Amino acid sequence: MADVITPVLTKGIGELNLRDIAVYRQQGGYEQLRRAVMEMTPKEVADLCNGSNLRGRGGAGFPTGRKWSFLPNNGRPRYMVCNCDEAEPGTFKDHMLLEETPHQIIEGILIGAYAIGCEHSYIYIRGEFKRGFEIMRDAVQQARDAGFLGENVFGTGKRLEFTIHRGAGAYICGEETGLLNSLEGKRGEPRLKPPFPAIKGLYGEPTVVNNVETLAYLPYILRNGPEWFAKAGPERSPGFKVVSISGHVRKPGNYEVAMGTTIRQLIDDCAGGLRPGREFRGVQPGGGSSACLFEEHLDLPYDFDSIAKAGSMLGSGAMVVFDDTTDWVKAAHSLIRFYAHESCGQCTPCREGGDWIERTLRRILDGRGVDSDIDVIVSAAHQLTGLNLCALGDSIEPFLASVIKRYEADFRAYITRGSAQRVAV
Amino acid sequence: MNAQSGTLSSASAGQPAGAAVADWSPYAQRDGHPFDALYASLLPEIARLIGLYEQKRSALIPMAHLFQEHEGYVSANAMAAIAYQVGETPATVESTVSFYTLLYRKPVGKYVVQVCRNLSCLLNGAEEIMDYAREQLGIGHLETTADGLISYEEVECLAACDRAPCAQVNLEFVYDLTRERIDAMIAAIKGGTYEIAPLAQTAKPGRTWRVEQDNGRKSAGGMNVESPNNAGGIGDRSGLVMFDLIVGKAQYESRSNERLVHETTLRPELSENGHH
Repeated sequence: MADVITPVLTKGIGELNLRDIAVYRQQGGYEQLRRAVMEMTPKEVADLCNGSNLRGRGGAGFPTGRKWSFLPNNGRPRYMVCNCDEAEPGTFKDHMLLEETPHQIIEGILIGAYAIGCEHSYIYIRGEFKRGFEIMRDAVQQARDAGFLGENVFGTGKRLEFTIHRGAGAYICGEETGLLNSLEGKRGEPRLKPPFPAIKGLYGEPTVVNNVETLAYLPYILRNGPEWFAKAGPERSPGFKVVSISGHVRKPGNYEVAMGTTIRQLIDDCAGGLRPGREFRGVQPGGGSSACLFEEHLDLPYDFDSIAKAGSMLGSGAMVVFDDTTDWVKAAHSLIRFYAHESCGQCTPCREGGDWIERTLRRILDGRGVDSDIDVIVSAAHQLTGLNLCALGDSIEPFLASVIKRYEADFRAYITRGSAQRVAV
Repeated sequence: MNAQSGTLSSASAGQPAGAAVADWSPYAQRDGHPFDALYASLLPEIARLIGLYEQKRSALIPMAHLFQEHEGYVSANAMAAIAYQVGETPATVESTVSFYTLLYRKPVGKYVVQVCRNLSCLLNGAEEIMDYAREQLGIGHLETTADGLISYEEVECLAACDRAPCAQVNLEFVYDLTRERIDAMIAAIKGGTYEIAPLAQTAKPGRTWRVEQDNGRKSAGGMNVESPNNAGGIGDRSGLVMFDLIVGKAQYESRSNERLVHETTLRPELSENGHH
């Protein structure tokens, strides 16, 4: 077990009080920020990040260095925004990182901000993380008092301002342009792209939006060198990943592993395997938006490309494990209800489609389904994909389609049982 | 001061925090309303929140959180005050506030219990927990008890799937829910001994504070349609029936033409821009 788990971001959690800046500094904290600001040019920092091949940990897996390189050199102010609006079903890594190691996040954000030439960075924290918001507020005050952020960092005269913003309950604000609208005090509705945030983002200026986990790796990439990071895991999706494992496992939790660890290792060696006497039925590898994988995929390496090749996605790194007690219709309904509830309502296919599929599934659950329902929801989910401003609507199809393909009999059983009851009455 | 005496332009000009409290907004309900005193006391904090951002409208949600903290919900007065501070109309502020589920535009209970109903919690028995909680509280999803003490809501993933089923009470996490924990929680709330502090409450809550979205019909096409297979899409006749009544009937067409002609005479720019 110990050989699979490789704590980098999660090191010291549960043992040390990393919320205290003194403890964090004893672990080498803020040393890399100091080095970056005092000894390196922004370009050198960005090159290190590029050399590590770090890919975004928030869901899309876009190479971080490349995202930064899209910023135009137009002399306009630039913004770094850290996305801590974690709400993807099954994901709870940012929740832990925020509450346990706030300084690591601050250091990562400031290193990123320095690398892209941003003077004022923001962190957008989900409204439900009230406690995490308070912890982050205290941590920022400690860092400000120590002179690590503010108008004159490390006495160099450089400005790295930092604002914590707390949202108010909307999953869609995790989408980067929705997040920017929300940060501007508007409804969190995603924007039409292009222009992408790198060109026109916060307040219409060039902006980079990165996930908490992505930015938190930056201090370690600076400390250990990009090769260290690039060497862990496969070449095209290197490094480490905090994987949130939940569902039908014995020890649900966050486990940090090198990319390329197999799904089986994650379930058995990290999360303690299934509960006694239960059989494996499926696993959702990357949050609510990812297609379900099954027995034949258990030995797949857990990295962006391998999971994508299997027809699913690594997403935010949230694994939900299903055993033989799973009611697939209820599971599918729960996720579709989520997307129907969280749709911002801008695009008709997502707003109406999600709602409509949810109601059909609920009808099947209530025993009032008809045989054609299954084909209809599969086709509706497929047809609303790709017609929306953001990926929320597109997230309806993968899990639903993969589960119906595999466990159609479970859905049919609900319908047959329902009509048999109706006849009996 | 009369509530109607101000003009729109004076509000959208957005005087900075610190302007005389007596004339801060033409939209407010006045006459010695206790909100004036609250507003005056919060002015320094409002100025601090606005100072955190490079554009003041960014402070809209933080200000809404602030008023909700003190009033228990974001009242119409609070939205007018926020509008004044950020230089927008109250309608714009309400549009934003109404987008977010954690901002309440109507009073809620002193304890808001939010149980997670999403996948990981569901796999670990959230359904039984929710059934039990509803039964014990005697209320349903999005409802408040008659004494105004507890509001109950079933919410989406709270990012605590490792300790499912989970909930939040006044945004503090409660993990590993069991029937016993729910019993203990309700008893402690009713007995006034619960470890989590109550929310402010300045007005008596009604039965609900938000339109039930999940059973609601989001679009007109979906209104009162029994079968989700005919939710206003192709094949649904409910909208078309109305359409058939109007289109193709001479009296409607002539009336419509009449109005266009009428409008064009009144507003010449209509024809210039080719809108007719």
